[in-house]
Amino acid sequence: MTDQLPADRGSASEASSPLEPWEVFRQEKEGDPMRHGGAVMAPDAVLAVHYAREMYGRRQESVRLWVVRRADVHDLSDPDLLQPPLDRSFKKPGGYVMRDKLAAAREQSGQSKPKAKAGRRPAIAAAPVQPTTHENDR
Amino acid sequence: MTTIRATLAAGLAPELRAGLDELLLSMADDEFVIGFSDSEWTGIAPILEEDVAMSSLAQDELGHAAALFALLAQVRDDGFDADAIAYDRQPNEYRHARLLDHGRGDWAMTIARRYLYDTADGVRLEAVAASTFTPLRELVDKIRREERYHVMHATTWLERLAAHEGEPRERLIAALEELGPHAATVFTPLDGEGVLVGAGVVAASMAELETRWRASIATAFVQLGLPMPAASDLQEGRTLHGEPFRWLWTEFTSVRRLEPVATW
Repeated sequence: MTDQLPADRGSASEASSPLEPWEVFRQEKEGDPMRHGGAVMAPDAVLAVHYAREMYGRRQESVRLWVVRRADVHDLSDPDLLQPPLDRSFKKPGGYVMRDKLAAAREQSGQSKPKAKAGRRPAIAAAPVQPTTHENDR
Repeated sequence: MTTIRATLAAGLAPELRAGLDELLLSMADDEFVIGFSDSEWTGIAPILEEDVAMSSLAQDELGHAAALFALLAQVRDDGFDADAIAYDRQPNEYRHARLLDHGRGDWAMTIARRYLYDTADGVRLEAVAASTFTPLRELVDKIRREERYHVMHATTWLERLAAHEGEPRERLIAALEELGPHAATVFTPLDGEGVLVGAGVVAASMAELETRWRASIATAFVQLGLPMPAASDLQEGRTLHGEPFRWLWTEFTSVRRLEPVATW
């Protein structure tokens, strides 16, 4: 099985290397996406693969593992870049979030939120409610 | 199952059956004893990941032992099952190689023992991979696929300990010098091996397998600058057991001895 291991076995000849975290991705069956499974601590890629095999594959729960040094993962978690404060829902396939606008329109017309099983919905003056609009009512 | 068992045992000539008994018992006891020895690391291995790895290897070996004991029970067909063979013997009735008769020792000792045993076991398994005894061939086909990882694990650690000057390398060499003289006891000749080789159950004699094994590890030992295992005294290679094994036997039979007829 040596042939399936990472090539950098030369690490064995280096001075004692400290443990570092390695992220493990696993595929449950052929064709599935690789999903993050967890992490192992290991001094180098070879042992990281060994330990990934033991922690995420010894019960035959995986058909493929990817092991990546955590230091090689480029992290982006800046809220200004990922969770901007302005409404950017128009960038989603579903379009604008209508909840707030609908609430304002109902308040203006003095009507309450229509019941789920209502047969014929009363028209709302400012914004007529189409049945399909409820998909965006979140 | 009765039919299969009866067929299997009945179809074997007495000498062949005796040889198979000896071969299967030696293979099963080897796996059984190294499995229990390595399980002594559970909970105290150097790091959590290695703890899981070593415990998993130990479980694999016990699984191989269970399968080999079960096959042996079919060959014997005397009403005793795998558990009875595994647990209901006195220490001097076990037939594991003397290599496996040392205490757990330190990590270097465990790695040295694993490497010496796994490489030797690999040569032995290869010699029965095309066995004319179909149940053994089929079982060994599965066992070999797991043993590949065992050799990888042992090799990875052997290389690391050998490459780190100072304590790791010193401990490894001390372990190899202690175990070396017993390493080849895995190839202690079997009384019935002539029959086994003649019938194509095993591809070659134990002496020939020892030669193959030495050739298979020579390159690695030279590259890593490690002392090759010395020649072994094979006189009592599988019959002489010392105090460390008595202690291990007391441990692994402790539950069974509480209530031998209990059903689990």
